[in-house]
Amino acid sequence: MTTLKQWTKNRNIVHELIRKNVKTQYRNSVLGIFWSVLNPLLNMLVMWMVFSQFFGRNDPLYPIYLLTGNVLFQFLRSSTTVSMTSIVNNRGLITKVKIDQYLFPLSSTLTSLVNFAFSLISLLIIMLCMQLFGGYALYGYQILFMLLMLPAFLLFQYGISLFLSVLYVFFRDIKHLYNVFLTLWTYITPVFYKIDNIDPGSIAYKVLRLNPMYYFLSYFRDSVYLLCNSGGGVPSWKILGFLYLLGLISIAIGYAIYLPLKNKTINYV
Amino acid sequence: MEEKNSENTEYLLKIENLNMKFRMPTLKFDTLKERVVNFFKGKKNPKKELQVLENVNCEIKRGESLGVIGHNGAGKSTLLKIVAGIYRPTSGKVDLKGNVVLLNLGAGFDMEASAEENVYLNGAILGFSRKQMKKRFDSIIEFAELQDFVKMPLKNFSSGMISRLGFAIAIDVHPDLLLVDEVLSVGDANFQKKCIEKINSMKEKGVSFMFVSHNITQVKNLCEKTLWIENSKIKGYGPSEQVCKEYTEYCNSIQKK
Repeated sequence: MTTLKQWTKNRNIVHELIRKNVKTQYRNSVLGIFWSVLNPLLNMLVMWMVFSQFFGRNDPLYPIYLLTGNVLFQFLRSSTTVSMTSIVNNRGLITKVKIDQYLFPLSSTLTSLVNFAFSLISLLIIMLCMQLFGGYALYGYQILFMLLMLPAFLLFQYGISLFLSVLYVFFRDIKHLYNVFLTLWTYITPVFYKIDNIDPGSIAYKVLRLNPMYYFLSYFRDSVYLLCNSGGGVPSWKILGFLYLLGLISIAIGYAIYLPLKNKTINYV
Repeated sequence: MEEKNSENTEYLLKIENLNMKFRMPTLKFDTLKERVVNFFKGKKNPKKELQVLENVNCEIKRGESLGVIGHNGAGKSTLLKIVAGIYRPTSGKVDLKGNVVLLNLGAGFDMEASAEENVYLNGAILGFSRKQMKKRFDSIIEFAELQDFVKMPLKNFSSGMISRLGFAIAIDVHPDLLLVDEVLSVGDANFQKKCIEKINSMKEKGVSFMFVSHNITQVKNLCEKTLWIENSKIKGYGPSEQVCKEYTEYCNSIQKK
């Protein structure tokens, strides 16, 4: 089969898998797809109420800081954890039809992108309310730069997803290990605290700077509201380039484990 | 005239010296913890080699059908999965000149998804876009007699309903070679009759079949040639009438013992 034909075929499969994933997710809910916007919106309101009582009282925009961090990290968390089990969970397909296995983590990652889009809508609604009723300048053209960052972030997540999904075939307990790792990762990412409060000479600061999510999140916040609020400018091109580099490294690691093992997995799923 | 002749003798599938070995771990370690614990205990996990198919040779010409018979665990399903490209053979050559669809129980379905979603997903796996499948959708559902269950998740289906759906999809995508693995035995008598009629009409159109079944009469009626696999080796290969007779005699002789 020619490469182009194979590519079209795989694109169709991914398309159908995403459709199926999104549909099964909301099959039994009355509100259906509307739930996807309402659910993050309600979560955000709860977080807002709880966290703003404890942190960032002196920063009126702290809720937005918190929500942007949470939306982006939740995207990573859901895409990688769902992807991890995707090859094993589709054993019914893998053992019965000829199908490229990388399509499962890929479509799970892209399904999370759909959910992320809905969370983003809720975030933008909250920001709009703050702009209209609070008088804060939040909406600027910089938000379009977020779209430039997304492909890099998807590459980054897909690389991790591919790596985890292959590993999970052989070691089922990495699920628990990864959960612990995710908790750690949440804490070393400035999701709810601010990095300016940390002493640049400390170990904590150095660890933070080694964390790829720190860079993705900084760029995300800059483009979504920070730059507009602090008077303008465009997000750093240098960081954007670095984000794409991170994405490519992640993909390379993912395929480095997938390619040599892809013919073995079928005996272990 | 000569050209037509050469077209007739052109093979669709040619299998040469096919060997399939599975390397199976004797103990099942599937967690990292077990691996680490057993590593420190000095326990190894020896791999057992299992020869599933040994030196298999066969050929299917365009429009011709091959029956595959043998006892459970002889390697019939593995052979079909190799032809379908799901398994990679350990050694040997599989030369296929056309597209192939494998039809087995629960054929590549997602049990959580509805019949409709599964039709489109299966279509995509077989290389058809949503647009192309939309045209076929009604005829597939009609043939499978599932009009009232389109939106229902497959986990609520009976095994007969699932195999009907699988069969309906497989015949509608017009493969050159259709691999049928014991699917017909699940459907009721009416549906079996309908399937066999459909198979015959497809054969007239030049579709080839590879047919795994324990129903010897069906194999004799549908296939020109038959391959008999016993303990991973070929025990008989040739005209169906003859091979099936030998197989029946062999089965009887075993029963007497």
